[in-house]
Amino acid sequence: MDSSPPPSVVASPWAPLPAADWNEVTARHLLTRAGWSARQEDLNRAIDEGVEKTFERFFPSSITAFVRPQRVETIRTGEIELEERLIHAPQDTKKIERREFQQHFHGAYQDLVSKWLTFAAQPTVSAQEKWVLCLSDVYVVAYGKVRNPWSLYQHHATIREHAYGPAPVLSKAISRTPAMIEFLDLKDNKKDAPNENFARELFELFVLGEGNYTEADIKNAARAFTGYRSRGGDFFFARNQHDFGTKTVFGHTGNFDGDAVIDLAYRTPAARTFLANEMLRFYLTDEKIDPKILTSLGEAWAAEQFNLRGLLRLVFTSRFFYTPAYRGNFIKSPIQFYLGLLQDLQLDVNPVARQVVSELRQMGQMPFNPPNVRGWVGGRNWISSSTLGARRQLVQSLFSPLQPDRLNADDLVEVRAAEAEGHHHFSVEPADLAAFAQTPLPAGRGGSAHASARELIRTFLPSSPDSEYEKSIARSLHPTKDGAIDPARISGVLLSLLQSPDYQLC
Amino acid sequence: MRNFSQILPTTRREFLSFSGKGIGLLAFSRFAPSFLVQSTLASTPAPEKDRPILVIVQLAGGNDGLNTVVPFEDPHYYRLRPTLAVDRAKALTFGDNAAFQTGCEPLHALVKEGRLAVIQNVGYPNPNRSHFRSTDIWQTASDSERVIGTGWIGRYLDNACSGMPTTDRSPLAVHLANEVPTAFLSEHEHPTFGLNGDGRVNGGHPTALLEELARVPNPTGASENASYLRQTMMDALVTEKKVQSVLNAYQTSSPYPNNGFAHSLRSVASLIAARMPTRVYFVSLPGFDTHANQAGHHQKLLATLSESLAAFQHDLDQHGLSDQVLTMTFSEFGRRPMENESHGTDHGTAAPLFAMGSKVKAGLHGTAPDLNLAANQDLTFTTDFRQVYGTVLDRWLGCPSKEILGKEFSPIDFIA
Repeated sequence: MDSSPPPSVVASPWAPLPAADWNEVTARHLLTRAGWSARQEDLNRAIDEGVEKTFERFFPSSITAFVRPQRVETIRTGEIELEERLIHAPQDTKKIERREFQQHFHGAYQDLVSKWLTFAAQPTVSAQEKWVLCLSDVYVVAYGKVRNPWSLYQHHATIREHAYGPAPVLSKAISRTPAMIEFLDLKDNKKDAPNENFARELFELFVLGEGNYTEADIKNAARAFTGYRSRGGDFFFARNQHDFGTKTVFGHTGNFDGDAVIDLAYRTPAARTFLANEMLRFYLTDEKIDPKILTSLGEAWAAEQFNLRGLLRLVFTSRFFYTPAYRGNFIKSPIQFYLGLLQDLQLDVNPVARQVVSELRQMGQMPFNPPNVRGWVGGRNWISSSTLGARRQLVQSLFSPLQPDRLNADDLVEVRAAEAEGHHHFSVEPADLAAFAQTPLPAGRGGSAHASARELIRTFLPSSPDSEYEKSIARSLHPTKDGAIDPARISGVLLSLLQSPDYQLC
Repeated sequence: MRNFSQILPTTRREFLSFSGKGIGLLAFSRFAPSFLVQSTLASTPAPEKDRPILVIVQLAGGNDGLNTVVPFEDPHYYRLRPTLAVDRAKALTFGDNAAFQTGCEPLHALVKEGRLAVIQNVGYPNPNRSHFRSTDIWQTASDSERVIGTGWIGRYLDNACSGMPTTDRSPLAVHLANEVPTAFLSEHEHPTFGLNGDGRVNGGHPTALLEELARVPNPTGASENASYLRQTMMDALVTEKKVQSVLNAYQTSSPYPNNGFAHSLRSVASLIAARMPTRVYFVSLPGFDTHANQAGHHQKLLATLSESLAAFQHDLDQHGLSDQVLTMTFSEFGRRPMENESHGTDHGTAAPLFAMGSKVKAGLHGTAPDLNLAANQDLTFTTDFRQVYGTVLDRWLGCPSKEILGKEFSPIDFIA
């Protein structure tokens, strides 16, 4: 397939999309890429409003906060109480109590995942939270090493707080979160024994990319970040552990601290394109972007003083973003697959947190827990026979009601709590089905099955793939001679459609 | 198609998106390293039942070689590791200057029984200390400076399976992790299969319609991602049924420890015992990135590795399969000889690797690292990892290694 953008786009790729090019197809592209899904009502609204206004609505100038979940909060208070209790406890007791406390961590982590998914599933904040996810896939910390859900929450709240501001400010804030201090061993970075872990990843994976720094830059930068500690959940600068000596980074020499090193990094050319490229990989394509096109984006972004909302606007309103070759061929991440399914089917997040965490883990994306500091690689790496199987299993679960007899007491508490918040629609019910296939279905002849098949394809697939698809679906909807469609058939068809290869794309 | 020279990939990620499953390496063979192109054209006999099987065990994160094979006679070791050095009195020795630490009794027994070879100080020139880059180097068997888009196992499959009928979609390579390992990336398409990290099948019963939808041919103009998804789905549906019934039916009296890594090895054993045509299995044990407070954590990891590998080997013995299977470990790098101030070790270079099976020449191979080093200095490798791969290809898998590795590497004599 020819994936090269038309010449007019190549000439000024980051110029705004002409109003004449805003239609159902381009609007769907924005909705599924910037958010999780493109439901008909959202699509209609976006088409009416135009690209600029839709952008403003998706990324308003102020951020909506994600309130710290109750169980995450209790971790913090519980931890303080535990420490007090343990001061005079014998050594053995300390160990046991600490281990027991670790169990609470896992419950709180699951709660954090569940509450965040519930928050992010709201259409009003979907685009914001997808952007937070994108940034947290750059500024990675992982539950597997950090363990403490309170710090994980704090780290993501920091990302969210700075998500529309200047990137250097975000980078500096990130170097101070307790989760990062733990995750990349800043806590062990001392004047006499610098630990290079953070400095290396800052350059390689957060700001510049491999090959844009030397080993000497890393060694010197590591010294600038000595003494970064956390205490009681806050950043703490340990002056006696900080190396106040002279460092040379990117050819500049001085008594730099971490912030100064970050400023120096943003003055190198690689910083202009690094995050922009990461963003395009996250939202647009796993194909390589023409370096010239990328450079022009980097320049436009640098002219906006690396403002992150400016970068979002540049990309999401540009002609380049809507290049036809980039439509309908991007593999959904497991989180998008899950939240998109919920929005498409108008369901609430399964309140049984352990089940959701396990489903996402099997699909290859445990929230707040990327496999390593590079984050999730994405693209075709999401797909293997085992992860595809997990996606199918998830769809299956959305078509089966929660079974209270298989839930333990803790699960039931979670279900009750979700219901108290007004969430009670956890699986597809018979009443939903008719609407999806645009019924009441007439007891008509073959034509109605084809119409329903078309409607299902139009609603759920990125682009109508093929008439063969329609034929197969129509046959399954309407296998008998008398022409009536049994709602149970719609259920089976919809389930298969959502498991099918094409639904994995957006 | 755009102009080739403009879009030639420079990193693996770019290469992958470019090469993918549709347009292959052959499409731009003019620009590709010639040995890669040749390897896709050469042909060795196709895999079939009863041929040798390779099980690759990844120790992800960078395994600390010096605390894996402990040079207990070397005073420099104790100088470099004031708090992390393994207590000499407790070391499980198996050479004049080589020992395992407590917890590795099963590995120790395997050496004594003649079934574990230890290849010392393995690495490559100009070592890269990035986890990802170095993992790619090991998995693609490239030079440090060169980026290759296919893995060494993928090229082996390209080479060994070109004569294979395409109707049989039984997996030639199976990975037990959610991500397909880079080592499997190939020029041509080969059926591969993935179990999850606990060695289990994901999925559930597919509907008849799903099987039909997966079989609908790709419409013209379908993206590479769409084709890839359809192909993966189709293979998965077929293989799942087969694999699930094998796992369900498996009987063994070898007691495996209760952890995901051991469960994965048990699944591997059951698939081998079922005479699947699979030639290569890839299993991963994560957690080796021990920057801080390494001692207890690393010891536990090695114990898990040790117990699980031994259980696997005994299981193969019981099923009369041990002559057919070679198991080898690798890790993206070893760690810095000198411990850091956090009682851990930072990213380093060379490390030992293990080869296990009834056909190995047990004991030490290669030379031990020279530890007469200044503060923070790294080890200098003495065996190139491609010497090990070459030996496995030539002497175990029966595939000319030069076709896969691009040149001859002098073999290490660890396979009988």
